[in-house]
Amino acid sequence: MSSRKPVTDSPRAGRPEGKARTRAPFLFLAPAILIVFAVLIFPIIFSLFVSTWDWPLSEGAGIRRFVGLGNYTALTRDPEFWNSLKLQLGFIFIAIPIELLFGFSAALLLNREFFGSRIVRSLLLLPVFFLPILSGMTWRFMLQPRYGPLNALLISLGAPEITWLGNPSTAYAAIIIQDIWRMWPFMFMLLYAGLTAIPQELMEAAEIDGAGYWRRLGSVTIPLMIPTILTAILLRIIDALRVFSEVYVMTEGGPGSATMLFSLYTQRQAFGYQKVGMASAMAIFLLIVSIVFALTLVRRNMSLDVLEEKAGG
Amino acid sequence: MIYFHWENKPKEALMKKTLTILALALVLVAMVSAQTINVLFWDDAYPRTLMERIPEFEKATGIKVNIEILQPPQVFTKTSVSVSKDRTDYDLVCVDEGNIPLFASLMLPYDQWAPGKVFKKVDPNTVTPAMLDVAQWDGKLIGLPINGNLYVWMTRKDLIENPKYKADFKAKYGYDLGVPQTFQQMLDMGTFFYSNGIVSGGFGPFNGGPAGVFGEAIFMWESYGTHFIEWKGGKPTLVVDKAKAVQGMEFYKKLMAIAPKGAETMAHVERQAAFCADPKGVFTQFIWPAQIASYEDPDKSLVAGKIVYSAPPAGPAGRFAIRGTWAVNIPLASKNKEAAAEFVYWWASKEIATWLVEKNTVPARTDALTDPRFAKSKPWLAAIADSMKYAAARPRFKEVAQVQDIVKKYWIMGITGQMPCDEAMQKIIDETNDVLKKAGY
Repeated sequence: MSSRKPVTDSPRAGRPEGKARTRAPFLFLAPAILIVFAVLIFPIIFSLFVSTWDWPLSEGAGIRRFVGLGNYTALTRDPEFWNSLKLQLGFIFIAIPIELLFGFSAALLLNREFFGSRIVRSLLLLPVFFLPILSGMTWRFMLQPRYGPLNALLISLGAPEITWLGNPSTAYAAIIIQDIWRMWPFMFMLLYAGLTAIPQELMEAAEIDGAGYWRRLGSVTIPLMIPTILTAILLRIIDALRVFSEVYVMTEGGPGSATMLFSLYTQRQAFGYQKVGMASAMAIFLLIVSIVFALTLVRRNMSLDVLEEKAGG
Repeated sequence: MIYFHWENKPKEALMKKTLTILALALVLVAMVSAQTINVLFWDDAYPRTLMERIPEFEKATGIKVNIEILQPPQVFTKTSVSVSKDRTDYDLVCVDEGNIPLFASLMLPYDQWAPGKVFKKVDPNTVTPAMLDVAQWDGKLIGLPINGNLYVWMTRKDLIENPKYKADFKAKYGYDLGVPQTFQQMLDMGTFFYSNGIVSGGFGPFNGGPAGVFGEAIFMWESYGTHFIEWKGGKPTLVVDKAKAVQGMEFYKKLMAIAPKGAETMAHVERQAAFCADPKGVFTQFIWPAQIASYEDPDKSLVAGKIVYSAPPAGPAGRFAIRGTWAVNIPLASKNKEAAAEFVYWWASKEIATWLVEKNTVPARTDALTDPRFAKSKPWLAAIADSMKYAAARPRFKEVAQVQDIVKKYWIMGITGQMPCDEAMQKIIDETNDVLKKAGY
């Protein structure tokens, strides 16, 4: 038997070791925290800092000077800013519900095995793998009035020639359609994965209880799918808030500013007008909008209590 | 024995020798690296053609040329980010003439460029006078204009020489079909071909990027007798005569009515496709000479050899040819200024400029453009020379990108009928004034 007392019994010996024990997790976490700070937090803090400055992109454009909240107040007076925000939110609220509808319908339809089902499911995913810039370019050529295949098809059916990207409303519709085409399979992918994770016993129990297809869908499938649906919506919203390259190559924000989404206008501010401070203020604004979306969706609908309640009910 | 020799040497001497060798090695490495220059090119046929000959320059001078070639908007962004007063990623940058005011303070004036060691320093007077102005800012020549880009008019030769069309046109309009000399003739002829289904477009507009649309607007406004912005009292001032500007916009709207389908968004790619690849094609439109090589390439164009080149048709106030030239500039912060200058002297030399003309591109040297050897084989050269008599610049000031966006937005709304031209012009005036006011002018 050792004559030494347990360390915890000794107030002198115990204190340093206790501190070390307390410190140890932080020391182990420190590298990760540092990396997270450098990669995630610092750019946001720096962007916030830049947003309080009149910061020309080129040194030739002028000198940097502190303006406080000047960029933010200037934005609120800029009609183009509000127009771009309206277009961006419209883009999200039109495109994402349609993508959800298509994705969920396809997931329900293909959530069964049949000959070639795996190939069909794989092929459906193809548009997601398209580079956004390539997708924009392809759609730009497809919608070209004279030699684009879409107009050729419409004309052969007797419809009039449409200048898709030359008219403000059809151009806006075109960028939304392009996004739906490219991204609905993303919804399908997530929702199909969610559907396959639903325990079969629940479905069978509901069926034994006499529930038909629609009843099972409304009372079992959809409630259990809520977390997956919300995750898919949240991911798509975050992605749609940053949409840029495909719209840039399709319309460059035109005609006029009919498709000048928030992201495109931010790019114009920074690289066209040389106003990095203003662009940073827009970026911070976008960050706040993203956080609001995330909090609304995650905190209110994805808390464990609510989910359990929904699943139980 | 060496062993003893070394052992007997004092330690300090050995250290000194080692350090000397190290220093010499460093100097050698520095000398070798000084012979590399980083160059930022804009992407079009002209610099791409030049790139074929760069190995010859490298062999002659021992200077290695690292090239980055980007689309013009990206050249602008890269220059903005990468060039400052005390540091630069490039030893030579190409600057579009509209951006000279923005970058002038960061570039070495041409009179301070070192004389060449292998190639003779180029006399700026070899540059066509209409182009030399491009690199002038605040009374100094900031770099050297390197290409001869300004509006040249293209008209389909096969159409205007067709006897049936000639007879039919004369019967209808009472004058001869030919290269349009005035706006009205352009509209008449374009309408004749378009309404008879002979062409897909009687006129090829440009409705692409903001700088290009701004060029079209300035072309029309100048042709109707009004400037847009002038430097007055050391600041850019809006001087546009609204009534004349609206007339110019209204006339362009008429031209849009005979333009190919999709004209509302036609940029260079679509214009080239409509003019060169469409079996019916387009009757007439402007071209930047830098693009002539593609239009005259039989592998890419159905109308190669069938184009007449001329100066632009005249509006009520006369002829104007919008300029869009690039200058090459050495950043003040470059550590390889001499090598960069050597490269420009080679590029702007008569030998290379003449070879570039031979390859259907358009340098800025007068002697290469007027070389009699090319008079027959390069019919566009005479047209370029003619257009240079009417050269007109787009307004240049630091905030021009914002004004270009305003003009593009309302110009297109006006010419496509989304907004009455009068209202569109008023919007342009109001919002441009706002930009100038906010900029402190």
